[in-house]
Amino acid sequence: MADTTTPATTVTTTRPVSRPVSEALLNEKWDRCFSNLIIKSSLGLGFGVVFSVLLFKRRAWPAFVGVGFGAGRAYEECNSSLKQAAKEIRKQA
Amino acid sequence: MLRTSIRSVRALGSRPAAAVAGRQWQASAARRAAVFGQRFYADDKKPLVDEAKLPAAETLTAPTTPPPPPPQTTPAATITPEQAPLTPPAPGPAVVPPPPPPAPPVLPKKKGFFRRLRNLLLKLVLLGVLGFGGGVWYSRINDNFHDFFTSYVPYGEEAVLYLEELDFRKRFPNVANRVTGRRADTASEQVNIPAQSGASWRVADGDHAGRQSSGVAQKVVAAKDAVKETVKDIVKPEPAAVTKAKKETAALPKVEATDAALEKKVKDAEEKKEVAVIPAAATSSKAKDFRAPDVNEPSVWPPASPIDPLSVPHADDAIVQQLVHMLNDIITVINYDGTADKYSQTIWKAKDEVSKVGERILSIKSAAEEEAAKQVKARIDSFDKHANDLVSRLEAIMLAQEQQWRQEFEAEVERLKHNYDEKIKLIQEREQKLSEQKLQNKLLEQAVELQRQFSRDIKKHVEEERDGRLGRIESLSKAVSELEKLTTGLNEVVDTNLRTQQLHVAVEAVRASLEDAHHPRPFIKELVALKEIAADDPVVDAAIASIHPSAYQRGISTSAELIDRFRRVAAEVRKASLLPEDAGVASHASSYLLSKVMFKKQGLAAGDDVESILTRTQTFLEEGDLDNAAREMNTLGGWAKTLSRDWLGEVRKVLEVQQALDVITTEARLQSLKVE
Repeated sequence: MADTTTPATTVTTTRPVSRPVSEALLNEKWDRCFSNLIIKSSLGLGFGVVFSVLLFKRRAWPAFVGVGFGAGRAYEECNSSLKQAAKEIRKQA
Repeated sequence: MLRTSIRSVRALGSRPAAAVAGRQWQASAARRAAVFGQRFYADDKKPLVDEAKLPAAETLTAPTTPPPPPPQTTPAATITPEQAPLTPPAPGPAVVPPPPPPAPPVLPKKKGFFRRLRNLLLKLVLLGVLGFGGGVWYSRINDNFHDFFTSYVPYGEEAVLYLEELDFRKRFPNVANRVTGRRADTASEQVNIPAQSGASWRVADGDHAGRQSSGVAQKVVAAKDAVKETVKDIVKPEPAAVTKAKKETAALPKVEATDAALEKKVKDAEEKKEVAVIPAAATSSKAKDFRAPDVNEPSVWPPASPIDPLSVPHADDAIVQQLVHMLNDIITVINYDGTADKYSQTIWKAKDEVSKVGERILSIKSAAEEEAAKQVKARIDSFDKHANDLVSRLEAIMLAQEQQWRQEFEAEVERLKHNYDEKIKLIQEREQKLSEQKLQNKLLEQAVELQRQFSRDIKKHVEEERDGRLGRIESLSKAVSELEKLTTGLNEVVDTNLRTQQLHVAVEAVRASLEDAHHPRPFIKELVALKEIAADDPVVDAAIASIHPSAYQRGISTSAELIDRFRRVAAEVRKASLLPEDAGVASHASSYLLSKVMFKKQGLAAGDDVESILTRTQTFLEEGDLDNAAREMNTLGGWAKTLSRDWLGEVRKVLEVQQALDVITTEARLQSLKVE
């Protein structure tokens, strides 16, 4: 991913308007998805830990469930964003 | 505090809230204390706590209560119910002998239960009565509540109605009395008509009976009777005769001899009681046909010949006529009364008197007439004299007035004439002046006209002379302009030549700037120069206009850059080459992974798939065929097209610029050819 982002940055520096280059569209989406995944799953993990401490006598599974929820939510969002983009492309065509 | 409250709840769990509130009162508190005591003894733990607390509680609730004597009450095995409540700290002593208390409380408990029951009942009754009373009272105030109360509470309606009636009576005592009193009267006091009232055979006693009875009807009846009686008394002997006589003397001048009242009564009698008339008729008939008295009867004078009615020769006068009528009436009455002989003398006298009176009246009348005629004559004479005087005087006045008017008229005519003469003179003068002025004006106009004509003539002459010279000058200037034209034509040729050369140079400059650059560089200056040189050549303008403004503002990328960028784009496009129509995360990931293991094609590969298109584009690019490469890339679709959009735009810009430059060079060449 690093190799793809560098040229995009060079291009953007040359341009006054910071519009993403068309070939970087997909990569940007992936970046967003990954960051989302990390945030959501860490949030889920946090909730799971709190619940496990407060309610479930420090069992491990609530934490995993939290992580799963977070990751699942991130996946779903990513999926929907990709599909939305595909729909827009089809509309443009 | 908490504990005590809990205890109280436990002890009085079944009691209503109101009772709980009442707990604060002395008696109830005491009673409860007794109950607590029993419970209390059952559990051994509490006494200690209570011993410490109760005094405080007691002080809180009732400070006046005397502190209970703790040691004395303890020995008392038989605790009276009054004593037990008064000693809240009783449990204290109970600690010392736990067993004895349970035995005595049994009796108080029972008593307490009954008492409580009684009290409860009492309270319930009291509450009920209060509530009922309150309800009745409030239903008097609020209509809605009244409806509710009367319809849902038993005996509520009766109570409310009773109260309302009471109130009504209090407010209108006399009305209430009247209503009831009248009812009683109608029941008991009926109209009694005494037996003696009304018409009876005893007419004479009618008024007596009437006096006895107070009813109006009775009075009316009595009055009728009285009238009847009086009529009978008065009229009976004679009315029939009178009427008969009247009928007979219908031919004679009718006179109202009898008074109105009498006649009315007679009529009444006739109409109402024919019974009364019939005997009267009988009597009249009896009186009419006279027969000689019998032996047993007293001697009677035969009826005298009737007195002749009076007739006066000059009955024109109203007074005399009336008098005659009167007398005639009396005569008829006397005639029909049968007493003509008795009154004949007096009647005769009266007749004479009447005739004398008539004569005297006549003589008085004639005297008065004569006197009046005399007076009238004198008056007429005096009037004539006055009228003559008046006429003569009026004529004199009229004459004098006429003369005066004539004089005035003449004077007025004179004055008017004078006025008009003056006016005419004035008008004539003015007219003369006006005509003189007009004449002068005409003269002036003529002078002006003459002057104008003179100047016109002079001008004409001058122009004629000048025209000759001007004509020559014009022909000269024409020749000069032709010369100028020739020179300008030459200049134009030279200029166009120069321009075409400059155009070529400018185009070459643009091309050089494009080809020289290793990086995209704006070539707006070169383009501006080119446009200026081309002046207003439509072809050049159109060609420049076809270039996208961003192309000359930012410059266009070189072919090397394009190829470099194409490589990156191709890598991205390849990643998304295997995506289905509606791709999610999973398909994207799989496409990414699978694209890594795909075989790469070479050269001009056949096929419509993304990979072959990319390969073909690359070959075209390597050959330098930008046009075809762009065409190939344009055939892509979906994500691949979206990813390569920017690159395509770049390529298009480059192509546009190239095309425009081509067009301009051709145009420049054409221009140079044209000049030659």
